[in-house]
Amino acid sequence: MNIIEVRNVTKRFGAQVALDNLSLSIAPGRIFGLLGPNGAGKTTLIRLLTCINVPDEGDIWFQGHPLVADDVARIGYLPEERGLYKRMTVSEVAVYLAQLRGMSKKEAVSSLKQWFEKLGIEAWWNRRVEELSKGMQQKVQFVVTVVHRPDFLIFDEPFSGFDPINAEQLKQEILELKQQGATVILSTHNMASVEEICDDIALINRGRVMLEGEVREVRRRFRQNRYTVTFEGEAAALTLPEWMQILSQNTDSQTTTLELQLSDTHVSNDVLQFFVPRVAVTSFGEILPSMNDVFIHTVQSQNESK
Amino acid sequence: MSKVSVIISREFLTRIKKKSFIITTLLLPVLMVVMMVLPIYIAHHSEKVCTVFVLDENDYFLNQFHNTSKVKFEFPSGELEDMQQRCINGECDAVLHILKGNQSNRANLFFSEDPPLSLKSDIGEQMDEILFDRALQKEFNLDIKKYKSIKDLSHSDIQTLQIDENGQAKEKMVEMNRIVGMVCGMLIYFFVFMYANQVMRSVIEEKSNRIIEVIVSSVKPFQFMMGKIVGVALAGLTQFVAQIILVVALLFSVQLIVPELVAGDEATTEVVSQTGTAFDGAMVASDADVFGDISAFYSFPFSTLLLCFLFYFIIGYLMYASLYAGVGSATDNETDSSQLVLPISLPLVIAIIVIFMGLSPQSEVVRWLSFIPFTSPIAMLYRIPSGVPLWELLLSCGILVVTFLGCVWFAAKVYRIGLLTYGKKVTWKELFRWLRM
Repeated sequence: MNIIEVRNVTKRFGAQVALDNLSLSIAPGRIFGLLGPNGAGKTTLIRLLTCINVPDEGDIWFQGHPLVADDVARIGYLPEERGLYKRMTVSEVAVYLAQLRGMSKKEAVSSLKQWFEKLGIEAWWNRRVEELSKGMQQKVQFVVTVVHRPDFLIFDEPFSGFDPINAEQLKQEILELKQQGATVILSTHNMASVEEICDDIALINRGRVMLEGEVREVRRRFRQNRYTVTFEGEAAALTLPEWMQILSQNTDSQTTTLELQLSDTHVSNDVLQFFVPRVAVTSFGEILPSMNDVFIHTVQSQNESK
Repeated sequence: MSKVSVIISREFLTRIKKKSFIITTLLLPVLMVVMMVLPIYIAHHSEKVCTVFVLDENDYFLNQFHNTSKVKFEFPSGELEDMQQRCINGECDAVLHILKGNQSNRANLFFSEDPPLSLKSDIGEQMDEILFDRALQKEFNLDIKKYKSIKDLSHSDIQTLQIDENGQAKEKMVEMNRIVGMVCGMLIYFFVFMYANQVMRSVIEEKSNRIIEVIVSSVKPFQFMMGKIVGVALAGLTQFVAQIILVVALLFSVQLIVPELVAGDEATTEVVSQTGTAFDGAMVASDADVFGDISAFYSFPFSTLLLCFLFYFIIGYLMYASLYAGVGSATDNETDSSQLVLPISLPLVIAIIVIFMGLSPQSEVVRWLSFIPFTSPIAMLYRIPSGVPLWELLLSCGILVVTFLGCVWFAAKVYRIGLLTYGKKVTWKELFRWLRM
């Protein structure tokens, strides 16, 4: 059973169609990357999932039943535009937000204290929010998002504003939450992090799903018959056949690495059959397009077709 | 605790814990009491008897001045310079030099230390009276003593009575009715303005510091809006009640320490009217006459007034606060909000102006304003003490309730969309478009 199923959802704001008959599903226990250019409808979709807005048409199912407002207690949402009450202390704000998510005050305090200790921020407990740096506030916001142990988490651009160390820490926390059984939606423009931690993705543009599937499978779908070969010696000694073009070449004192573009008529074995008799190959592999390439290619080709 | 009560308690607690809240709660009553007591205190303490040396170049006023509780007149012989020197030496407080002339109505008042403000007018009044008496005597050959006793006896006493349908006449205090109505209207006006504005500011703050999306992903915007409105109102009422208690307590303790300052004796009334702190005739009358007449006081529609006050106060505040919240949600900052707020706040301002113009509670304008829901909380309360037909009262309440529900619906719609709309300068036209979303 999918944790989320979006079925033919349309959402309009006046004349503008933000989501256009959109359907997608998210399997439990996975990290789902929600990708798309600015204004694609990601935030609108998230706001429907968190019951901030309601769809004009279509419906959303959550854990096997139509999504209702009470389900929001099972959802943790870290919006892209996030803030805290500046004049309250960190603990006051955190307890307040945890209570709004349905925890009792006692539960909230003990659970928050555990999280603060885990992230090494317990010294901030009684500080005022305005004394904290942006990155520090982001950490508090992360804690507030996960404190009520939701089954389903939505992070909208979670890494923005973090330094590399804190971003890494956050990434590990997200992976840990997944291991504990949570399902995560990660909406981000940071494609490297998508490749690193997402299991599945959906790319939406102009309110429609353009691309959907497992990350590796999606990348493979966009494979361009490109390979990388590393061998001992220099490339100058070789005469390459016509069906093999060098995209880039990298030589150090002992080895050479070539990135090759094959023509459609040839496959990986043809490359090996060419190199193995001539040089000592030390490594060989296919170059899959990065999510970044997939993203740009998909969005541009759609925009051109319109 | 339900979510709404969590919201109410946060809104309430963060407000009453604010320094500015505590300061205004304490400072305002102190200021009020000081403003009430200080003029009286000053008057009491400047009430030493002033000695005035009179030098009359015509001997016209010689021994004509009579001494009062404040001024003592002496008529020593000698030159002006002589007397001025004695004034400097502190033998007298002022020297009145009446100049030579036919009418003898010009004079100089010399002093070395500032005399009480009322000294000049006290002397002037006596001079006027003396001159007038002289003129009467000269022109009409009157017996001044007899004339004065006649004048004192000729004094009218008008009572205001209202006749009901049965032809029964009841004593009514017109001034009292108006004042009570005005005070009730003003209370509502200030409360709505101060606290509805606070609601709006807080909505804008939540929007601009971007906490709002975190919140509305856990509670319904409508719940959040109502929680906020109620929380702010509770904080406001707390402040209100605390201030009233403080004022009473302060006045009480002042009375204990210096009894003559607070007691409503004649000196006080006199001083109040003299120092010009009284607003108008009606207000001065309030001290002397209005509270005096107990029987009129008892015929006053207290329970109706109290019930209606609570009703109009609560519904009026809720209506305005939700409108302010809706408008606040549509803007990103306070400067942009002012043009959206203006059309909402205008009716309140108009109502309060109409009341302060002194229009009769029975006039057509006030009657119409008491039906229009945006002005009725003020206008109807102004009317109630003077008596309002039941059907008119019920109609006004009904219209208010219907409008209130409409406003809450409107505000909730706008709030829901406005909260997450950034960077747009929203107009009223745009707000109405949101209603269809």
